[in-house]
Amino acid sequence: MATGVVITGIGLVTPLGRSAGEVLDRIGRGQSAASPPPFEAEAFDCPLCARVDDFDAQSYFPENKTLRLMNRDAQMAAVAARLAMQDAAITVDRTYPADSIALYGSTGLAGMPIDDLVRLIRYTAAPDGSMDLGRFGQVALKRVRPVLSFKILANMPICFVSIFENLRGPNAVYTPWEGQGAQAIAAGVRAVRRGDVPAAVVGGCDVRTRILSFVSMQQLGVFESWARHAKGLVPAEGAAFLVLEDRQRAVDRRARIYATIRGCRIRSANGNSTLSDTFSALITALELGPNPTVVAAGDQDVCISESERQAFSTAGLRPQTVLYPKAHLGNLFAASAAAQVGLAAALAARRETAQPVLADCFGFGTEQAAFVLEAV
Amino acid sequence: MSRIAITGMGVVSPIGTGREAFWSALTAGRSGIGPITLFDASAFPVRIGGEVDDFDSARVTARFPQVDGLRDRKVLLALAAAEEAIADAELSDAQLRDAVLCFGVGLEAFWLQDLTPYAGSDDVSRAIARHMVRDQRDRMLQTPLDHTGRVLGERYGLFGGRYTNCSACAAGAQAIGEAWQLLGEGEATVALAGAADSMLNPLGLGGFSLLRVLSDENDQPQRACRPFDVTRKGTVLGEGSAFVVLETFEGAAARGASVYAELLGYASSLDAYRVSDPDPGGRGAVRSMTGALQAASLEAADVDCVNAHGTGTPKNDVVETEAIKESLGGRASQIPVHAVKSMTGHMIAASGAAEAAAAVLTIARRTVPPTINLQKPDARCDLDYVAEGAREFDGRTVLSNSFGFGGQNATLIFGRCQS
Repeated sequence: MATGVVITGIGLVTPLGRSAGEVLDRIGRGQSAASPPPFEAEAFDCPLCARVDDFDAQSYFPENKTLRLMNRDAQMAAVAARLAMQDAAITVDRTYPADSIALYGSTGLAGMPIDDLVRLIRYTAAPDGSMDLGRFGQVALKRVRPVLSFKILANMPICFVSIFENLRGPNAVYTPWEGQGAQAIAAGVRAVRRGDVPAAVVGGCDVRTRILSFVSMQQLGVFESWARHAKGLVPAEGAAFLVLEDRQRAVDRRARIYATIRGCRIRSANGNSTLSDTFSALITALELGPNPTVVAAGDQDVCISESERQAFSTAGLRPQTVLYPKAHLGNLFAASAAAQVGLAAALAARRETAQPVLADCFGFGTEQAAFVLEAV
Repeated sequence: MSRIAITGMGVVSPIGTGREAFWSALTAGRSGIGPITLFDASAFPVRIGGEVDDFDSARVTARFPQVDGLRDRKVLLALAAAEEAIADAELSDAQLRDAVLCFGVGLEAFWLQDLTPYAGSDDVSRAIARHMVRDQRDRMLQTPLDHTGRVLGERYGLFGGRYTNCSACAAGAQAIGEAWQLLGEGEATVALAGAADSMLNPLGLGGFSLLRVLSDENDQPQRACRPFDVTRKGTVLGEGSAFVVLETFEGAAARGASVYAELLGYASSLDAYRVSDPDPGGRGAVRSMTGALQAASLEAADVDCVNAHGTGTPKNDVVETEAIKESLGGRASQIPVHAVKSMTGHMIAASGAAEAAAAVLTIARRTVPPTINLQKPDARCDLDYVAEGAREFDGRTVLSNSFGFGGQNATLIFGRCQS
């Protein structure tokens, strides 16, 4: 059995930077990545998004032709996972065998790139605008790239990570919200705790800055806070991965340890009325002290933030410091949990705040999760 | 780890709706493949599939009014199978309230017919945004893959955590395996685990056609899926859903529940090879099978039957045969190996769950279903594939494989209950 689970690597591709230190510094300076989206947004209640402007996967994988098969979320996942592995100084088959490194990831509603979609529907539409299945079958399918399927299958970003990093161990892919991103982290923690593997790469990726993602989110009510209160979450894009290791194995190889994962809990809720109740029960079960540092799930979404405040109150918490990454980075959805836990681990490692650090991971979906980290 | 029992089951498949209809067709060797009728596929290179043709969606929407009008067929299939499993297990509301849900699912349905009216616009994306948001609020562009979990949660609670696994063709098996792990570690005492999928829509069928993994033998649909046959030309898309109820043995015994079988072990692995092809050496498949044996504390000699992934694609069947032989050694040639997909087609994310249900019933009903359409075995596929028809089974364990696009593999091992 494992001796405890520690975080030894953090890899981020976010609108505010690619290392936990850089992101924390920019959050500390009050910077925000929010800006108007690169498309006409008048139809949407939400007028902002947070993009990674200078992202170029080719610069990380210069000779790799596989990148052309990959959607933007998959490319971001590959880069973030590579940064996490480098940060942990893990070399596959030297530090650990490939089949003893687990990979648990989460992906979002990235969907089809608009260019591919436009090509598909232009060759599918009848003159009257209806869908012509004959044209779809005989013309459109021949005009789209066969690799399109690899771009839209929900598990593909994580499979590309496995190929790029040669990870062959236990695995799963979850989807599509923040809570499922937390499930990926928890799955890695359990795999290491059980002793199935000495190390796990966990994280997620999402691109919610495309117009089709905006359409889906508007229809699903994600922008409701904007409609009611003229403020709300800012959809973002990015990826975040962590390297989890058995504590003793990490110590033995003299790895830099950011933090120990002292506990994690996941529960489900139905609607906002049960959100704060469930979350307060979660954090009560984690037996925190009364004044932890919190890396909070909430952002500018009024409902989520209010539920979170109520949960703290019910659980008897008076957080010493509360960090709201989403208010700066935007909401990375499927990648959000790994980003939050990574930032919490970096905070714990700085030892600037009272320990432990609580990372909340929940949002639009029904899943709620909380992780408690401690400096080593 | 606690021992985990299977106490309920529900299946909606191309060969029958309901576990008894499914099992009856499976053991009779009836194919569920036919011409696609869910949409006009006449212009597609592939026009056959495994449709659930006796499905009463009105019955589902009567029970779950919130999905009335929902176009995403796999959600309806899932709700029907989940309801059957819950009823079969005779779980109380209190037990379901704190249960875990592990659900496997494939790809968000995407409705191109909602978008084609804007194909002629100068700015297609702007036109889509305006009209989908303003004029078609009730027509969802995408149904999030966790939608089934939300609906089931609204009905039953399932507050123990709702896991939405999208590991392609391994999703169903992974969902059941994860439920086994969660219960074994004491995270909950009851889990509802399964999967659903339906790629029988223009985008799904078109996308898989592009991958060149489908048989295009449109003139002989019932013969089109021929796992392990030398003339096999590819798999056939199917649709469906299956769920099982898992409980700790202590919990099942305390309430006097009937137990179909025990889930003894689970493991997963990654090929890390190519997203389009399985590792030709089958190393990922071998690690999945040997890992499950290890998790179950079994030896290769303890395996009495293999429920193969068996897609009928030229690549899979040879690689899987070699992997079974490497994993089980001499035992591989002594035991039956059968392929459910020869009858159901490939239900993608749901296939692992449906095949898990078949494995459980193989043990409970003491019968191994056949692999149909296997008339000229590939010389490289040299195991006993039960080609002659269903046969009696007095073994104790069944190993069930699921291998997914992208290189995700999962293996479950079920066993007969000792008591």
